[in-house]
Amino acid sequence: MKILVVEDDKDLMEIITKSLEKERYVVSQAPDYRTALMKAGDYDYDCILLDIMLPDGNGLDLLAELQDMGKKANVIILSAKDSIEDKVKGLDLGADDYLPKPFHLAELHARIKSLLRRNQREGEKKIVFGNIEILPEKFEVSVDGKLIDLNRKEYDILMYFMLRPNRLVNKSTLAESVWGDHMDQVDNFDFIYAQIKNLRKRLKNAGSTPELKAVYGIGYKFVLE
Amino acid sequence: MKLFHNVMLHISIASAIIMAAWAVFFYWAIVDEVNDEVDDSLDDYTENLIIRVLNGEEMPSLNNGSNNQYYMYDISEEYANTYPWITYRDEMVYIDEKLEYEPARILVTIFKTDDGYKELVVYTPTIDKLDLQKAILGWIIALYIGIFLTLLLLNVWIFRRNMKPLYVLLSWFNKYKIGNDCAPLRNKSDITEFKKLYRAVTMSVERNEKLYEQQKVFIGNASHEMQTPLAICLNRLEMLMEDDNLTEKQMEEIAKTHQTLENITRMNKSLLLLCKIENGQYADVKEICVNSLLEQYIETFSEVYGYKNINVSYSSESTFMVEMNESLSVMMVTNLLKNAFVHNADGGDIVVKVSGRGFSVASSGDVPLDSSQIFTRFYQGSKKEGSTGLGLALVNTICKAAGLKISYDFNGKMHIFSISK
Repeated sequence: MKILVVEDDKDLMEIITKSLEKERYVVSQAPDYRTALMKAGDYDYDCILLDIMLPDGNGLDLLAELQDMGKKANVIILSAKDSIEDKVKGLDLGADDYLPKPFHLAELHARIKSLLRRNQREGEKKIVFGNIEILPEKFEVSVDGKLIDLNRKEYDILMYFMLRPNRLVNKSTLAESVWGDHMDQVDNFDFIYAQIKNLRKRLKNAGSTPELKAVYGIGYKFVLE
Repeated sequence: MKLFHNVMLHISIASAIIMAAWAVFFYWAIVDEVNDEVDDSLDDYTENLIIRVLNGEEMPSLNNGSNNQYYMYDISEEYANTYPWITYRDEMVYIDEKLEYEPARILVTIFKTDDGYKELVVYTPTIDKLDLQKAILGWIIALYIGIFLTLLLLNVWIFRRNMKPLYVLLSWFNKYKIGNDCAPLRNKSDITEFKKLYRAVTMSVERNEKLYEQQKVFIGNASHEMQTPLAICLNRLEMLMEDDNLTEKQMEEIAKTHQTLENITRMNKSLLLLCKIENGQYADVKEICVNSLLEQYIETFSEVYGYKNINVSYSSESTFMVEMNESLSVMMVTNLLKNAFVHNADGGDIVVKVSGRGFSVASSGDVPLDSSQIFTRFYQGSKKEGSTGLGLALVNTICKAAGLKISYDFNGKMHIFSISK
């Protein structure tokens, strides 16, 4: 999988690149509009991570250029400008997703993964990790081919981990994405422990190979033993 | 006190003092003048009488038709030596013809004849000073009232004519709010002072608007510029945390740093959000049912804050519908509810009430908050970790943008936030 990262900030570019390479993507870098246009024009990428504000141009113009060239690429806009207009404009111009800065690397990976999965053929749109399979369209979870029953929260949590396997997930981040955007002042995560406990029990009973490992004081990691 | 009342008060006090002083002066001038005349006539009469006495002529009868009357006594030498020879004085004298006492001017003269000393008392009824005082007082009061009324009318007229620009300016200021579009201030007056005042006001307002705008832009830009460095810090820590060689202790420290950075990020986002709302970037509105929002988030928060054992009661008389931006409505409701949960004691109460005109969220608390500060940015009743101090400022800004009114009340050990149309 080839990914083009268009980002003018050196530090951020380095981090994104490192993190993507860890996931075994092939990463190409473009620190400005000119380079980005050249690279995107010359090569085909599975995914382009596009910063809007570039020193010599606007990322949105690049989108328009790509459309004119008839290039089909999955584009995720990375912007520090969390504005609705930019988001709407970007999506109108053919971007597939919009990720406001600052973002979690885990989130970036999940977005890339779900974007790449979207392009797979019908029927293949399942998420697999270990012997667990999720069919997101039907909300079906199976372990070793056997369907298991999960409640809504357990399903959401499992889905979150399935999209971020082997990554450390912060419990407050998990709370925010499963319970909603306003978990910032929670100082007691009992409500997560309770759900995780149930989920673990159900997975274990079904004989799943991946395991939800607690990382003391931080959160969890979904790992294959 | 109004300027007009103040001016009238000063004028009336000043004119009262001036007129009182003038009345006293006037009274003394008249009395002096009258005395002078009367004294002259008494002098003449006395002289006449003394000449008659000294010449041994017959004295006039007591009732000689003139007002002047006299007595004459023989007196001893010591008496003559102890008293001044000429004395004028005012006294009440019994007038035989009128059978009553009347004020009179008296001239007492002591003179020496061949037979020894004599005292001649000559008097003439004079003006009644009390009557004069009363008359003057009456007329002065009448004059004062007349002058006061004239001044009043004059002042009303002067104020109407000359002070109009001032009142125009005041009513303009009443409507003016910094950062809001406002009708320009127009000056129709030709008076130099008002021209200067208007110019000064216009300039200062423009300067303030500019500063306000700059400040707004600055906060927006600063928050915006911080996004990327924050992202870098967070992401570097995230990458570091994925390193399996870390000890638990190191991991924990990193996680704490990460959490603090997250808090900064959140604060930053809230600041950006405030800027955006103030800039009117959430213009798309739709009909929102606040009841269902409240129900939904009360459920979520009850679950999340289950460990606090908070007693939530929810009652709705009817549905509260409001026209506003959807995501802002969620922010408004969640911020209010979150505050009610977070700043509540374990085992406390939350009472949410909805009516057709608004809703209120009440939560247990011991001390009232400073209602003048509560909606300002970074005000925190008690410092709470992870709290940005922007929640209520955000709610306030959202309410303003949506044309809702928000108020705070402390009643019966409950903090009550009410929002109404």
